[in-house]
Amino acid sequence: MAIEFLLNKQNPDGGWPYLHGGSWTEPTVYAVLALLAEGETAQSKRGIAWILRTRLGDGGWASRPGVGESSWVTALAALIPEENLGHAAHSGAIEWLLPVKGENTTALYCLRQWLLGRSNSIDRENPGWPWTPGAAAWVGPTAMAVVALESEHKRRPSARVAARAQAGRNFLMAHMCHEGGWNHGSTDAWRYDAPPYPETTGVALLAMDRLRSPAMERALAMGRKFLAETRSADAQNWLRLGLAAQGELPQGYAPPQGIAYRTVTEVALSHISELGGLA
Amino acid sequence: MTRRELIAGAGVVALAGCTARKATAPQPQMVSIVRAPAYDQRIYDTVRRMLADHRLDVRGRNVVLKPNLVEFEPGSSINTHPMLVHAAYEAFRAMGAASVRIAEGPGHRRNTLDLADAAGYFRIIPGFEDVFTDLNVDDVSQVHLSRQVSHLGKLYLPNTVLGADLLVSMPKMKTHHWVGATLAMKNLFGVVPGGLYGWPKNVLHWAGINECIVDLHSAFPRQFALVDGIVGMEGNGPIQGTPKAAGVLVAGSDPAAVDATCCRIMRIDPSKVGYLGLAAEGGAQIAEAGIRQTGEPIASVATPFALIPYFQTYRLDRPIG
Repeated sequence: MAIEFLLNKQNPDGGWPYLHGGSWTEPTVYAVLALLAEGETAQSKRGIAWILRTRLGDGGWASRPGVGESSWVTALAALIPEENLGHAAHSGAIEWLLPVKGENTTALYCLRQWLLGRSNSIDRENPGWPWTPGAAAWVGPTAMAVVALESEHKRRPSARVAARAQAGRNFLMAHMCHEGGWNHGSTDAWRYDAPPYPETTGVALLAMDRLRSPAMERALAMGRKFLAETRSADAQNWLRLGLAAQGELPQGYAPPQGIAYRTVTEVALSHISELGGLA
Repeated sequence: MTRRELIAGAGVVALAGCTARKATAPQPQMVSIVRAPAYDQRIYDTVRRMLADHRLDVRGRNVVLKPNLVEFEPGSSINTHPMLVHAAYEAFRAMGAASVRIAEGPGHRRNTLDLADAAGYFRIIPGFEDVFTDLNVDDVSQVHLSRQVSHLGKLYLPNTVLGADLLVSMPKMKTHHWVGATLAMKNLFGVVPGGLYGWPKNVLHWAGINECIVDLHSAFPRQFALVDGIVGMEGNGPIQGTPKAAGVLVAGSDPAAVDATCCRIMRIDPSKVGYLGLAAEGGAQIAEAGIRQTGEPIASVATPFALIPYFQTYRLDRPIG
């Protein structure tokens, strides 16, 4: 059913939309990964050809071809196995990811924050990744970059890659909500605690290692609570992936009945989570 | 040049002409205030009458309604109430619009349709999915911003809103922890595609929130604003504040004038709200003298919205009207 949906949604150019319209990098990567999990097909090859065709000169990918510069979706492209994407494109994606940091870690910004009496030494020493160049780092893009780098490190051990992934995990730990779990990355505003979200909690859990600490226990408890409560397909997908990566997804877990899987990313990620995960 | 870019460019030219006219002979902008005590069936007739008062001619036109959808909190006062959006949808259709779409691109949560479902949009608006566009992942065109108050210069914006003959901003009347108040102009942050700029749309923060609000506003010269002030939000808005019943709907063709009027209802000094001040520098009417206010007098509906400590100086102390 999921595969049929994905095949029907593939655009003539080989990419996928989120729901309707032109092709975007993110849904195309997830659709390709879902199809590859079933075995290589002509459709997955067309998807990979689209991804290779839309690669930018700096080794990264924009969210949409022809629109803007290389962005966070480069981490998603790096999740496609090297044997499918090709060595040059894959290693180019990793090399693009390694130096990218949020603008909130630049010397000028840190100096300004210091003058304002605000310290962000944790972010400076453990930079996360932004959605787009020139903006601050956030939980979503940081988590996906860590997943991509960790996957690369497992395949081809590298101290440089491992250190950058660890800095990203430290960033995520520093941006955990006080009650456990994660939102988009803002833990408070004017000293008001901001609550975690189910989907970003799942994304961040996917990026974390299995080391346990009181903070991680709070995050896992929040993840389990969200999994039991949420009726969002997106949230269910990421929580399943995140808790499974932590070895905390209940054996034989199945999402509640009646959840609406509407978009290409929701259908593809559901399929991927059923078949064992992203990386 | 694509059709979308042509439309956007034409809008900029139209705005330039509009601004020039304002500079030489400012016309008072009509803003109407109507009492609306609850989200019930009466709202359908109220909205029809409000739109008729403004003599909008939408026959054969494409109308896009842009509510404010932010968070999954059923029963909260975070999101524009779906019944108000449905009432506007029905009213514009009855006025002869060729098409009416509802469109939004939330800034924090990526699962827009789930968010709309939790906020009651699927339940209240028949066939919601067929008339809704997720602006975060819509097809886009590049737009060169006409005002250039911020450093953005250009933005990619969704074709659904660029192709609208009338963009109807339908915000919730709320305080906002970064800019003081979030109303019709700030609501346009939701048209910036998260698919390109992320969640949150952080490039707008780095380029200056107030400045980007003004620039975005200038990109859409054909707007109407209809503010949901039946139950708004005070305190630590736009998400963590507390519900505040103001019992009003506020509407007009000039979002800056509408926002200034809403501020006065909330007992906030509009001249202290950064983006309204910047809009006024560009010729927008935010002074009471520049607004032709109809319906309920502000003084009869004004109710102070609690402000977080940082914004206490924004409090409007003098009497109104």
